[in-house]
Amino acid sequence: MRVLSLIYVIALGAGLGLASARYAVADRPWFGRAQIGAWTTWPKSGARDIDPYMRAYLARGAHLPLGAGEGLELIAEKDDTGRSLDARCRYVVSGTTPPARGWSIRAVNPASRPFQLAVERESFTDAEIVRSERGGMRIVAAATPEAGNWLPLPADGRFELRLRLYDTPIASHAGELRPDTLPRITRVDCR
Amino acid sequence: MNAADATEAPSPATQPRADTHALPRRWLSRLGRSLLQFALLTLAGLLLGGIVHIVTVFRIPALATHDAATAYAALGMNGRAELVTPPPAGLPAILDGDPNSVAAVCSYDLAAGPLRVVARTGSLPLGLTVHRRGGGVAYAITDRAAIRGVLEFVVMTQEQLDERLANDEDGETSRELRVVSPSLQGLVVARVVVRRAFDRSEAETLATGVACGLAD
Repeated sequence: MRVLSLIYVIALGAGLGLASARYAVADRPWFGRAQIGAWTTWPKSGARDIDPYMRAYLARGAHLPLGAGEGLELIAEKDDTGRSLDARCRYVVSGTTPPARGWSIRAVNPASRPFQLAVERESFTDAEIVRSERGGMRIVAAATPEAGNWLPLPADGRFELRLRLYDTPIASHAGELRPDTLPRITRVDCR
Repeated sequence: MNAADATEAPSPATQPRADTHALPRRWLSRLGRSLLQFALLTLAGLLLGGIVHIVTVFRIPALATHDAATAYAALGMNGRAELVTPPPAGLPAILDGDPNSVAAVCSYDLAAGPLRVVARTGSLPLGLTVHRRGGGVAYAITDRAAIRGVLEFVVMTQEQLDERLANDEDGETSRELRVVSPSLQGLVVARVVVRRAFDRSEAETLATGVACGLAD
C-alpha cells in the first residue's frame, strides 16, 4: 500500500511538474510582458536580468532576440478594440512610432512564420513606406491589393503584426509607454 | 440476578441492532480515513509537481541542445563572423528573425582565453550582442558607441576579468571595453538593419566584416 502511495505521489508530481513546465515555456511567457494598447512586448527578453521562463523559452530554439540596448520588438495579435487579427479583414496601421534609428513592420502567421504569398512583400521599413504630407505612416494590411503601402495577407486565417524598433531609447522603459506613442491598428471592414 | 447485572448485560434482543449500526459506522470511518489519506497524497503530489516545475524551468537552458549558441557553435571559429541569414546548409534558421536585417555570428569558447571583437561601422545601423549559451543576451552595443568608426570590446569570464584587473598597471586606465560573459560558450551576433532591399549586400559585408579572435 505504501509503495502504491509513493508511486502515486511521484507520478502525479513528475507528470504535473513536467507538463506544466513544458506548457509554460512552449510560447512567450506571461511573466515579464508589457501590454501597450494592442502591442505586447517583453522588455527584458534581451536584458541580462531576463526572467527564467523567457530564458527557457529562448533556449528551446535558435532565437537571437534583440539586445536591450539594440532595439525592441512589439507583437500585436489583436486590433485596438481587442478583436483578433483576421486575414479576412482590412486593417489600417497608422500613427507614429517611438524615436528609433529605424523600424520594420511585418505580418506573420501565429507560428511566427512568414506567409507564402505570390506578392513579394512581407514587410515594410521606415525607409520604404510612402508617407503622407504630414509625415505620418499609413499601412494597409489586406488580402486584396490596396493603393499606397499595402502589406499583403493570405485569404484567411489569424495573423500577427510584428514591429521592430532598432536602436531606440525606449527599450529600457517600454512598460511605461503610452498607447498613443505606438501605431494604431484599426479594422476597416471584413469580407 | 441483581438490578446492576440487569442494566450492564445487553439483552439478546438489542445485540443485533447494535451490530447493524456499528458496521456502516466502521465503513464510514474507514472511507473517511482513505479519503483523507488520498487528499494528503494528492497535496504531496502537487507540492512535488511545483518543485519539479521550477527545477525543470531552471534546468532547460543548461540542458538545451537546440539553442542558438549550440546550433551555430561551429560558425565564426576562423576569426570572421559568418552569415546566418540565410543559415549555412544543415543549420536551423533564426526563429522570429526579421527579413529586414542580416545577422552574422561568431561562436566563442572562453576556455582558451578572452575574445576580442572588432567591427567597422558603415552607413547602416549595426548592433553587436553577446548571447550566452542556453539563451539570453549578456551584452548589447550599437554603432553609436563606435570610436572613429570602430567598435571594439573584449569578452571574458569573471575570473579572466579579475586576472586582467590584477595585471593592470596601477593608476593606469585600461582603454579596452571589457564584457563579462556568464557562460564559457556563447555567440557574438552582428546584426545590420537592411533599410532598403538594395542595402542587403552592404549589410552583409558589414556583418561579415566583424572580426573575433583571441584577445591575447
